[in-house]
Amino acid sequence: MKVLVAVKRVIDANVKVRVKADNTGVELTNVKMAMNPFDEIGVEEAIRLKEAGKATEVVAVSLGGAPSQETIRTALAMGADRGIHVQTDVELQPLAVAKLLKAVIEKEQPGIVIVGKQAIDDDSNQTGQMLAGLLGWPQATFASKLNIEGEGAEVTREVDGGLETIRIKLPAIITTDLRLNEPRYASLPNIMKAKKKPIEALTPEALGVDPKPRLKTLKVVEPPKRQAGIKVKTVQELVDKLRNDAKVI
Amino acid sequence: MSAQLLTQLDGALAAAERYAEEVRAGLAGALSKSGRLDPVLLEANQFAAHGYAWVATTVAALKELRDWCRRLEAAGQLGEIERLIAGAGFGEYLAQLQGGIAMSQGEVVRPPDLGAEGAAARLAANGSVRALLAQGNTLDARIAIAVAAADGRFGVQGLADETLEMVREPFRRIATETAEPFHRWHLKDELIPLELIGRLAELGVFGMTVPEEYGGAGLGKLAMVVVTEELSRGALGIGSLATRSEIAAELIRLGGTEEQKQKWLPKIASGEILPTAVFTEPDTGSDLGALKTRAVRDGDVYRVTGNKTWITHAARADVMTLLARTDPNSKDWRGLSMFIVEKPRGTAEDPFPVPGMRGGEIPVLGYRGMKEYEIGFDDFRVPADALLGGTEGQGFKQLMATFESARIQTAARAVGVAQNALELAIAYATSRKQFGKPIAQFPRVFGKIAAMAVETMAARQLTFAAARAKDSGRRCDIEAGMAKLLAARVAWANADLAVQIHGGNGYAMEFPISRVLVDARILNIFEGAAEIQAQVIARGLLSGERN
Repeated sequence: MKVLVAVKRVIDANVKVRVKADNTGVELTNVKMAMNPFDEIGVEEAIRLKEAGKATEVVAVSLGGAPSQETIRTALAMGADRGIHVQTDVELQPLAVAKLLKAVIEKEQPGIVIVGKQAIDDDSNQTGQMLAGLLGWPQATFASKLNIEGEGAEVTREVDGGLETIRIKLPAIITTDLRLNEPRYASLPNIMKAKKKPIEALTPEALGVDPKPRLKTLKVVEPPKRQAGIKVKTVQELVDKLRNDAKVI
Repeated sequence: MSAQLLTQLDGALAAAERYAEEVRAGLAGALSKSGRLDPVLLEANQFAAHGYAWVATTVAALKELRDWCRRLEAAGQLGEIERLIAGAGFGEYLAQLQGGIAMSQGEVVRPPDLGAEGAAARLAANGSVRALLAQGNTLDARIAIAVAAADGRFGVQGLADETLEMVREPFRRIATETAEPFHRWHLKDELIPLELIGRLAELGVFGMTVPEEYGGAGLGKLAMVVVTEELSRGALGIGSLATRSEIAAELIRLGGTEEQKQKWLPKIASGEILPTAVFTEPDTGSDLGALKTRAVRDGDVYRVTGNKTWITHAARADVMTLLARTDPNSKDWRGLSMFIVEKPRGTAEDPFPVPGMRGGEIPVLGYRGMKEYEIGFDDFRVPADALLGGTEGQGFKQLMATFESARIQTAARAVGVAQNALELAIAYATSRKQFGKPIAQFPRVFGKIAAMAVETMAARQLTFAAARAKDSGRRCDIEAGMAKLLAARVAWANADLAVQIHGGNGYAMEFPISRVLVDARILNIFEGAAEIQAQVIARGLLSGERN
């Protein structure tokens, strides 16, 4: 069985994000980029499936400009077998990503697709769900445990208030949650080996997909600075403040 | 804005290079007899000669800052913070060239010491130099650099190499994860756990530069520098774990027989065996050629007798690179031979469980995690085939061939320690409040942070340059010496400044900066003390052997 993982290039999780002075977006010049942490978890899970003999090949797909290849290279260094880069400089939104991935999936015919539950830059949390909808495949989102059993998979999901375990038929879309696994670090010999692994170059046109944005960003602003709090002397005063000032009760 | 700065950097660098050349020409003339550098005159004028080495190192750092900006400009990456760092670095170092360079806190070398008042005046009159002195290291620049640094922006390193950035990532993360536990091991003066060594081994740290055919990753010295800096940013002890593997592998790769390469390199690369370097003796440190430990051939073995000291990670090591005198009639480096000798791994109770070898721990201030030992050999048997390269009398040359790499690696360790100090200083200065605000807002505090950020980048770029020179295959003893010399001073300066920012808390062992201070102190001493580096640079440049 082939596993397909989607990997997105995002601002490194440790970078303090700064909003551009003209409020059109966030500063990306000279900013350290990295693989989306949830996608890293996806790559790790795929590699573990291969190591456990449940998968035969791991294919890492990234969509975006030329630097996205570096993100694919990272997946290859972790242990993915080959990469697919769909090159476009258009701003990609979740629906376009889902359509592009669908086209790649139809070409590759994987038995399972693992994507991050969300990317840490736009926090959309839509791609996996849209992709499952477009393909008409089962989906198991926010996975914290994945067991492949024959033609299906048992997936533990992190839902509000606890864990939910479901059984789905394959092929299916899995979106990863934080506790699914702890991704490995690429070793130096594997980084060198990854340089020799193939990355196939595709374009949205070749895949017959129009990736143009459907949503328009009006303004990007810094979150408001936290204001100093106040101290109340009695419970009665607290209730008054909550009711009359904060208007939350 | 970039174009104007780059023009100024070019102009000021050219003026600084002219100044250094005037100093060199003057000293070379004064210290030579019939066209040759005279050792007696060189020693009598050591302060000036070493002062010149510092001048040349400072100018080399300026060149690397300029080249860094040029590369960034070409790649469209020369941003505000990088421009400010370069400007402030030029402002500061140009002022030091004219006013005085601190070889150490108590030794400032000034133009009159070098017979260079005229040359210094010409440097000061240069238009670009004057512009950078006035506009480079200003209050506004220091504020902007410190604010960016507090945000985690220290300027892009400009390696422009996707593979090197991938190589960096896992070690950056491990260093971050390990910094805290390492401080506990340091306080308890414990050995670094084997579990961490195993993890680093799996990632390929011990075989970074070993060729792929011998089981390594086949990376260059630049990659080794990147990894070493990142690990040392967590703790010097972590960044130093691979040092002896690097030295042993380099010794065997360059000086070993094919059989020795096959036997040792794969095991060193995999981390299956940990080497230790057994060179220094109680009476021979910098003057290594005078060492006394004897190795006498007796049939199939050499019998080794003598005392060694400052042997790092010795008890735990599985193999020694041992330098000993095989020609009893020799008095200098010519009678020395190198051996690659197996030894059993010891325990705390029995550190050297092998006949003919005993030893004890040397308690030390910092640089902990591997422990230091003195070792006595008494009729210790070494198989004859342990002789590196199979020929006696090659030991010193074989070792010399590894000095460049070892010094570049140590420069990278120093840059990592410098960065560690800088980051700890920022964390403290932005959270510690006095007089109603974070102390980072006071000019004497953010000024220190800016100075640390600027000098760390200068030392880093000089270290990268030395590694690139080594990777190009050319001789680079001077470049390696300069990188080690500057980076060690910067590491110590940063550690000291960071302790000052911490105030009393910096003196408390509970705070990691207290460890960084004692760790930083070794960098000016080991792998060729600062005075030895200055000597290598001065002799190389003044003799005209290198230019």
